[in-house]
Amino acid sequence: MDLRDSSPSSTPNRDGNAGDDDGVLSVTSALAKDAALYFQSRKFAECVDVLNQLNSKKENDPKVLHNIAIAEFFRDGCSDPKKLLEVLNNVKRSEELALASGEQVESGSNIGNNITSGSKGSGTTTSLPASNCASIIYADEFDSSVASLNIAVIWFYLHEYAKALSVLEHVYQNIEPIDETTALHICLLLLDVLLACRDASKSADVLNYMEKAFGVGNVSQGENDLAASVNASESPLSRTLSEDPLDEMFSTLDIGGQNLARHTGLTSANDLPRITVDRSISGVDLKLKLQLYKVRLLLLTRNVKLAKREVKHAMNIARGRDSSMALFLKAQLEYARGNHRKAIKLLMASSNRTDAAMSSMFNNNLGCIYYQLGKYHTSAVFFSKALSNCSSLQKEKPLKLLTFSQDKSLLITYNCGLQYLACGKPLLAAHCFQKASLVFYKRPLMWLRLAECCLMAVEKGLVKGSWAPSDRSEVRVSVIGKGRWRRLLIENGTTRNRHVDSVERDVWALGDDGQPKLSLPLARQCLYNALHLLNCSELSNSKSILPSDSSLEENELSDGASSKNSNYKNLPSNDSKASTMPAALINLNGDLKEPKGGTNQEGIQTFISYYEDICRRENQMIKQALLANLAYVELELENPLKALSAARALLELPGCSRIYVFLGHVYLAEALCLLNKPKEAAEHLSIYLSGESNIELPFGLEDCEQWQVKKHIDCEEANVGAAAAKNSSPEGLEDFMFLKPDEARGTLYANLAAVSAIQGDLERAHHFVTQALSLVPDSSEATMTAIYVDLMLGKSQEAVSKLKHCSHVRFLPSNQQFNKSS
Amino acid sequence: MGKKMLNFEEQCKIVNLLKSSSEQKSIEETLTEFFTNPKLRHFNVCYSLSLLLQDKMMLSSTERLVAFAILHRSYSSQKSAANPFISFLVNAACDEGAENYERAFILHLLGFGNSNSSKEFLKQSASEYIKKFDPSSQTFPQKEQLQKQYLEKAHPEPYACLLKSTAVKNVLADPDVPPGCDVNSAEFDLEPGAKSKLGSGDRDEALSGLIANLSLEGLIPHWIRPLPPRFPVDEELVWLNPDNNHELQWDQGMCADTSRGAAVRDLIAKALRGPLAPNQQEQVLVELANDPKLVYHCGLTPRKLPELVESNPLIAVDVLIKLINSPEIAEYFTVLVNMDMSLHSMEVVNRLTTAVELPKEFVRTYITNCISSCENIKDKYMQNRLVRLVCVFLQSLIRNRIIDVKDLFIEVQAFCIEFSRIREAAGLFRLLKTLE
Repeated sequence: MDLRDSSPSSTPNRDGNAGDDDGVLSVTSALAKDAALYFQSRKFAECVDVLNQLNSKKENDPKVLHNIAIAEFFRDGCSDPKKLLEVLNNVKRSEELALASGEQVESGSNIGNNITSGSKGSGTTTSLPASNCASIIYADEFDSSVASLNIAVIWFYLHEYAKALSVLEHVYQNIEPIDETTALHICLLLLDVLLACRDASKSADVLNYMEKAFGVGNVSQGENDLAASVNASESPLSRTLSEDPLDEMFSTLDIGGQNLARHTGLTSANDLPRITVDRSISGVDLKLKLQLYKVRLLLLTRNVKLAKREVKHAMNIARGRDSSMALFLKAQLEYARGNHRKAIKLLMASSNRTDAAMSSMFNNNLGCIYYQLGKYHTSAVFFSKALSNCSSLQKEKPLKLLTFSQDKSLLITYNCGLQYLACGKPLLAAHCFQKASLVFYKRPLMWLRLAECCLMAVEKGLVKGSWAPSDRSEVRVSVIGKGRWRRLLIENGTTRNRHVDSVERDVWALGDDGQPKLSLPLARQCLYNALHLLNCSELSNSKSILPSDSSLEENELSDGASSKNSNYKNLPSNDSKASTMPAALINLNGDLKEPKGGTNQEGIQTFISYYEDICRRENQMIKQALLANLAYVELELENPLKALSAARALLELPGCSRIYVFLGHVYLAEALCLLNKPKEAAEHLSIYLSGESNIELPFGLEDCEQWQVKKHIDCEEANVGAAAAKNSSPEGLEDFMFLKPDEARGTLYANLAAVSAIQGDLERAHHFVTQALSLVPDSSEATMTAIYVDLMLGKSQEAVSKLKHCSHVRFLPSNQQFNKSS
Repeated sequence: MGKKMLNFEEQCKIVNLLKSSSEQKSIEETLTEFFTNPKLRHFNVCYSLSLLLQDKMMLSSTERLVAFAILHRSYSSQKSAANPFISFLVNAACDEGAENYERAFILHLLGFGNSNSSKEFLKQSASEYIKKFDPSSQTFPQKEQLQKQYLEKAHPEPYACLLKSTAVKNVLADPDVPPGCDVNSAEFDLEPGAKSKLGSGDRDEALSGLIANLSLEGLIPHWIRPLPPRFPVDEELVWLNPDNNHELQWDQGMCADTSRGAAVRDLIAKALRGPLAPNQQEQVLVELANDPKLVYHCGLTPRKLPELVESNPLIAVDVLIKLINSPEIAEYFTVLVNMDMSLHSMEVVNRLTTAVELPKEFVRTYITNCISSCENIKDKYMQNRLVRLVCVFLQSLIRNRIIDVKDLFIEVQAFCIEFSRIREAAGLFRLLKTLE
């Protein structure tokens, strides 16, 4: 025991004043023990007292300072996490500093007798992975892992996942030397952070590591572990089994049992912090935890089939324990499969209505379900309930650390934004998105939504300087004179240059509420932000191995045909693809660790690369939408050159959907036309021509499917119990806000007519515009082109009669102001 | 809501001009009077007049002449080709349907065929001009001739959007008369004081209404610009699940007793310099076994590994096995594979192969290094010794199925043949043969 005293520590600072004195050593360790005991029994004031005594004996010991900060934080009711972060960061820095100086001493003393040190540098074996030979620690005294963990915990609770991740990843790289308890906490937190960041590949890695390192995988039979279950799922037998109705019955039985046990489980988990020296989580608890992480990972990667199996397994483990998480996950699973009624039932079974945090999540999730059912107003009611749960949560005293993370109001606000957008309320929606941007600012989709708010506001005439919707689609005609002298003067005669003069040029002009005003320039800025973010993420993903595009296309075809009901139609079935993409099995994240298992790992990698395919395809979809919107906005802002390049970029995207191809061509042609290149414009539109003068449908109904609300009305409203659900009127007002295939065809005819007219080919223009009017009789643009063609052909009578028959014409009495005043 | 072409003053000006045309004032006089206002926007005024002229009925014959004169006079200080309305004038001069006096008047304005280009004809009033007009005195040239003379040297068109430059007049005649009646019949003109009847209307009212409402923008073909669809909401809604609880952790390392670690560290430091006594070795192994994390804190670094291997191979094996999950293990392997071949290093590798799964590349490289060490050694005695060692080592690897012989077959075979004089090499060769 006393060996340490006989050999003065090589590290400078730590035991400097304790090293020679047995008495001091025992006093400090006794004090440390007392402090720990106080801390465990949550007597934080006493704990801080003891720690202060300790601090006076061992001045500036980083670990003492660390524990003081933690204890004070709890003593003060978790009120100031930012301050705690500051202290912890200082502690971490000083520990790392001490460590570095310790290492210097160490290496310096050894240079002399280290004869073979050269051999390391001159290594000829390039094939071995070069590891990061950064600072590897042996001096346990200056281990900063606990401080790092705590820093990450706080970031996590503040929803700053990227910051938490960067701290944790650094620690995780070097997790082996860290003691079991801390390492376990680090891994668990890392998993939560990674899942929050939706990083499937690294999550799988950590999960896999945990199953190995914490011996959980070994406890269970082979099928429990993630990899094995992936492989197992490929046997058709297991799949058919899970469809068995009996299974469903068992799981409902499970729910009943857990309902009873939950209350005690939940409260105890919240009230008793498990701060113990020993492993703080029992074997079964850990097993359940890992199982639930596994389910979350599977849900994230949209592996519904497997998730179903695994969640059942989790339910079995959870028997008699707190399982609200398991129930929520099960509900999420059913939600993802489109079984909305079942999802509602599961939520009902799990909800602890007295707990504000739980009921906010409960209401939010119900809101999601009703949104998917197309009942936007009902979903609005639930979202706003969820928000008010959140605000009551914030009022609770004393604050718990968990309270910060339980405040999901920003996430719910995002959902609200989507719902307002669906209901056609762009101003409210934009307000929500702007609020939620604190969390979502890195997601391209959020910026796209904000841009959509701008476009919708402009379209609805809610923006200063834009026309009211009625004005926009209307042809205004002044009627001048009477009798034989009556003349019709068509106003609104030229291009719709409705915004340029009036809209403020300052993109971020703030409104009265301090929020940026919606405008077309703002829309453009948002779209650029989204594109930038998307390109960044593409760059960082480009190192992963992509399967060839052709195989992607194949999947798309087969999937579209097979599974139309599923939300996850993009997910290829496991077995069909396994052989085609061996390249993807290579460790995707470039982790240093050697591929650990043999074949099992491949299974995981396969489904993760499926997921990455899905993400890639989703990003492609987003990119199409972004470029289409951008081209539209630039046209509206009268920047045909920029519109041209956006439309070109859109058409160059691989695997562009037919709707966006159509838009790309239409925008591109208009831009070309505005740039005095009617011939090229006509060429772009002509790709839809078959034969001389017949236009094909640019896209089919099946292309619109993605936009339609999946309304399996399998939901018995009465069961929901919420009053709001009952007054559900037929909603889905703005379900699909785009042209039907026939209307798109009419659009092409009308635009071809315009191009032909500009080129002076009036015959052709006449033919096209006649076709257009038969397909889109209500289009004022087509009518105007038709009138133009008639006038050019000298048929003014016909022009007048077209004008009179068009439903969008408003005849205004002439302005006699002049006569009166003269 | 196109912009109004004319401001109020201009509107008055035009209305007055048209009124005065019927008076007995000379055209010249009327023109001079009209152009007294310097603020007049010539283009807008002329464009309005040209629009009115296009409506054949709207202006009276005298008004038309005055209007044509204005169109010409507005730009008469420049070359005729620079007049933006020159082609309009030329077309009007060639319009077969128009009155001959009007066509002749325009030709006069343009100075066609009249070398002395006298302005005499402007000294009379418009009505006088019409009255005195002698159809036989005037020949009408071909349109091409006129175009050649007045348009050819026209400036290239300045840049203008085609869509807009193809605009057509946006005023349509929509006479409101009973069916079957002649629109041009004067019976529908409103007689002052008379009771208005169906189809009647006041020309002056219509004219001033038109003048007040004319806009610069004509009617053009319209383009349909569909609004892009809203992006579908699929996985976008945020589903919430209960959080895992992550508590802040107490740092147990505070004032912890680290003496045991210090003891091992001292022993390891000693072990680098020479073999440890058996009891010391035992102590190290026991302490390392008791605390699985101690190995990371015992003071060993990759750089120091060769010394440990040479002095205490057993401890080295134990430490490496415990470090197998360390991120640094690759570096340890790199050092191990590159250190000088020796009995001890081979022993360490051999033991490692049986205890843990080593990276294939590592084993391969190690064997290759072994073979080349044998070949490069100069001292015959030492060489024999090393070759025998390598052979035994390889046999052990093959027998324990640590390596797949196929990977190294040629290399090992060549090695066996090169050193076939040594008994162990021959034995290894036979072993290879049996595996073939």
